Amino acid sequence: MALSWRSWLANEGSKHLFLLFWLCLNAWLFWKTFLLYYQGLQYYYLHQMLGLGLCVSRASASVLNLNCCLVLLPMCRVLLAFLRGSQKVASKKTRRLLDKSKTFHVTCGATICIFSVLHVAAHLVNALNFSENYNEEFLALNAANYRGEDPRKLLFATVPGLTGVIMVLVLFLMCTASTYAIRVSNYDIFWYTHNLFFVFYMLLMLHVSGGVLKYQTNLEEHPPGCFNPNKTLRQNMTMPKAFGEPFPDYSTDSFPEDPPVPEPFGQNNLVRICSEEPKFQSHFPETWFWISGPLCLYCVERLYRYIRSNKPVTITSVISHPSNVLEVRMTKDDFKARPGQYVILHCPRVSALESHPFTLTMCPTDTKATFGVHLKVVGDWTERFRDLLLLHSNQDTEILPIFQQRPYPKLYVDGPFGSPFEESLNYEVSLCVAGGIGVTPFASVLNTLLDGWKCYKLRRLYFIWVCRDVESFRWFADLLCLLHNKLWQENRPDYINIQLYLSQTDGIQKIIGEKYQALNSRLLIGRPRWRLIFDEIAKCNRRKTIGVFCCGPNKISKTLHKLSNSSNTYGTRFEYNKESFS
Amino acid sequence: MGQIEWAMWANEQALAAGLIHFHESRGSHTQHLPGTPHAGLLGHNLGVAGVLVCLLEYPRSKRQKGSTMERCGQKYLTAVVKVFGPLTRNYYIRAILHAALAVPAGFLLSTILGTVCLGIASGIYLLAAVRGEEWRPIEQKPREPRRMGGDTIRQPPSNPPPRPPADAHKKQLGEVGG
Repeated sequence: MALSWRSWLANEGSKHLFLLFWLCLNAWLFWKTFLLYYQGLQYYYLHQMLGLGLCVSRASASVLNLNCCLVLLPMCRVLLAFLRGSQKVASKKTRRLLDKSKTFHVTCGATICIFSVLHVAAHLVNALNFSENYNEEFLALNAANYRGEDPRKLLFATVPGLTGVIMVLVLFLMCTASTYAIRVSNYDIFWYTHNLFFVFYMLLMLHVSGGVLKYQTNLEEHPPGCFNPNKTLRQNMTMPKAFGEPFPDYSTDSFPEDPPVPEPFGQNNLVRICSEEPKFQSHFPETWFWISGPLCLYCVERLYRYIRSNKPVTITSVISHPSNVLEVRMTKDDFKARPGQYVILHCPRVSALESHPFTLTMCPTDTKATFGVHLKVVGDWTERFRDLLLLHSNQDTEILPIFQQRPYPKLYVDGPFGSPFEESLNYEVSLCVAGGIGVTPFASVLNTLLDGWKCYKLRRLYFIWVCRDVESFRWFADLLCLLHNKLWQENRPDYINIQLYLSQTDGIQKIIGEKYQALNSRLLIGRPRWRLIFDEIAKCNRRKTIGVFCCGPNKISKTLHKLSNSSNTYGTRFEYNKESFS
Repeated sequence: MGQIEWAMWANEQALAAGLIHFHESRGSHTQHLPGTPHAGLLGHNLGVAGVLVCLLEYPRSKRQKGSTMERCGQKYLTAVVKVFGPLTRNYYIRAILHAALAVPAGFLLSTILGTVCLGIASGIYLLAAVRGEEWRPIEQKPREPRRMGGDTIRQPPSNPPPRPPADAHKKQLGEVGG
C-alpha cells in the first residue's frame, strides 16, 4: 500500500506538529533553566555547594511546572465540548486536534513521572551535598544545620522534603493504576487512585513554599568570587580554583547582547573587592502561577458539571433488545445535545460512587425532548442497572394501583460531552464504520437525519456495520428501514449506502427479519474487504475529501487508519477521525 | 463497587518497585548514610533482589472473570514461576517477601524510594491475600483446527446417488456446504 504523503500529512500532520512544538517547549525550558543555574551569578555560591544536582533538579522542576499545568487542560470536558460545538471559534483542523486530548493528557502524565524521577534523584544528591558541603561562610545558604547532618532528616523533616516524598508516593500509586491492563480489567482502581490528583496538587503548592534554594540579591556590592580583605589569605587562595569551573565563557565575548552582565572579571579575578557580605533570599514560588490557572479552571468546571447534573432525569421507557442490550429513554429540562455526543450516567441505587459514559443514540430535538441511550450489559454495574429497570417494567405487567408502583430508580446525567463523531455531518461524504455496539454514535446521526437531512453539509453517507450475531442488527433495524424509506420517498435513494456484515455465521439464520427486506438484501456474510470498499468509495467520489469514522475493535480501526493514509488513483482524500476509549 | 482484583494492581506496583530498586542500587556505592557499613555490598545485593522481584512479578496472574492480557513473552517465566508451587501461588508469602526486601533498602539513601514502593506493594498483596486471591498461571489454549465449509465435509453422505430426498434441515445444510 503506497503511502501518500499528502494523505499522511492531512491525517497526521497537525498532530505531530503539535507534539513537536510541545517537545521543543519542554526542551527549551529545561535548557534555559539549566543554564541559568549553571552560569547565573546569583547562584554562584549555591552551585559551588551543590554542583550539577542543583541545575538538574531546577531544570526538571521547570519542565514539571509546565506539564502539571498542561495535564489538566485536556480533562476540561465541558470546555472541549464547547470548542467543538462552536464552529466559528475553532477550525476543523483544531477540532481534530481535540480528538487527541486524552493522548495528550497521557503524554503529559508520563512526562511528569519521568521528570519526577529525575528531580528526586537530583534532590537526593543535593541533600547529600547540603550535608557534606556545609558552608561555614554563608550560613544562610545552608539547608542542613551542621556539617554531616543525616540527609534523611533533610528529606523527611522539612516541608519540601516531606511533601515531596508523599507526592512521589501518590504519583507512584496513580501511575501503577493507570496502565492499560488495569484500566481494561479493574477500572475502579484507576478511577479512585486518579482522583488523588487533587492531593498531589495541594502538596505541590506546599512543596514549593519551602524556599530552601536561595539566590543572591546584592550582586553589585558583592560580585561572586570577589576578594574580601577581611578574610584570611588561605580563604582567599581557594577562590581561583572556583573560577576555573563555572566561568569558562566569560573570557570570550560570548554575551554581546547582555549589557547587565558585568565585564568578564575572570581576567581581574583577584582585583574586585567585596563591599559587603552576600545577601540571600528565597524565590517566590513560581509554580503557583503555573498551576493555579488550570486548577481553578478544572475546579470551576467540575462544580458546573455537578450543578448541571444535579437534577435527576425522568425515565420514560425501558426497552429490552436482543444480545444483552437495553435501551433507556428519558427526558430532562433544558437538555440539549448534538448527534455523536456522549453522557455519563450515575445511578446512586446501583452504585454510590461509580458513573459510566454512554453514547446518546437519540438526541432531543425541537419537537421531541426525549433522548436515549443503548447500553450493552457487560459488567456488574450494567447488570445491576438492568435488573433494577426491568424489575420495574415487570411490575407494569401486574395490575397495580399507581401509588403502589415503585418508581424507576433515580438517574443523573452528566454531559453531554463531545466526541469526534460530531464531525460526520460536516463532511460532504462520510464513511461510518461500526463494530457491534459501536454503532451507537452513528445511531444518533441517523436519528438526526431522519428528522431532516437537507440542512447539513452531508450529501452521502456510507454506513458499514459489522456484527457477530445477526440478532444484533435488530437494535436499529427499524431506524435503518425508516430512514431508507424516507429517503426513497424524497427521491434521494443514494443518500445513504448501507452495508451490513455478519462476521461469524452458523449458516442457518441469514436474514434479520421478514419485515426488514431493505436490510436483508444488504446483508453480507463474512468480514468486509476494506481495500475494495475504499477503492470503490474513492472511485465514486473523485477528488473529494471523505471523513472516515470508526467506532469498534482496535483491529478494524488500525486497518482503516492505514488505508486512510494510503494513496489512490482517483485523487480522493480520506480524513480519519477516531475516539480513543478506556 | 464491583469485584476488584487487588493482586493485579499489587503486581504492577511490585514490578515497578523492582525496576526502581535495580536502577537505584546501581548508584548506591556513592551515597550511603553514616553508620552503614558495607554500603557497596548492600547495594549490589539489593540490585540482585530487584532483578529477582522483577522476574517473579513479570508473569501476570489469570483473572477470576474474563480474559487476561499477557505481558510480552511471559509464558517462559510462567513455567519457571509455576515450578515453585505454593511458594509463588500464595500472596501472603509474596507480601512477606516484599516487606523483607524493603527493609534493608531503607538504609541506603538512594534506594529509599524503592523501599517505600515495595512496601506499598507488599501491603496491597496482603490485602489481596486476605481476600483469598491466588496466583494462577495463564495456560496456553490448544488451537482448534479451523473447520472449513461447515459440517458436510466431515460427514459426507453415506449412501451413493441417487439419494432419497432428506428432510428440510439436512437439505439446507447440504445447500450451505455445497
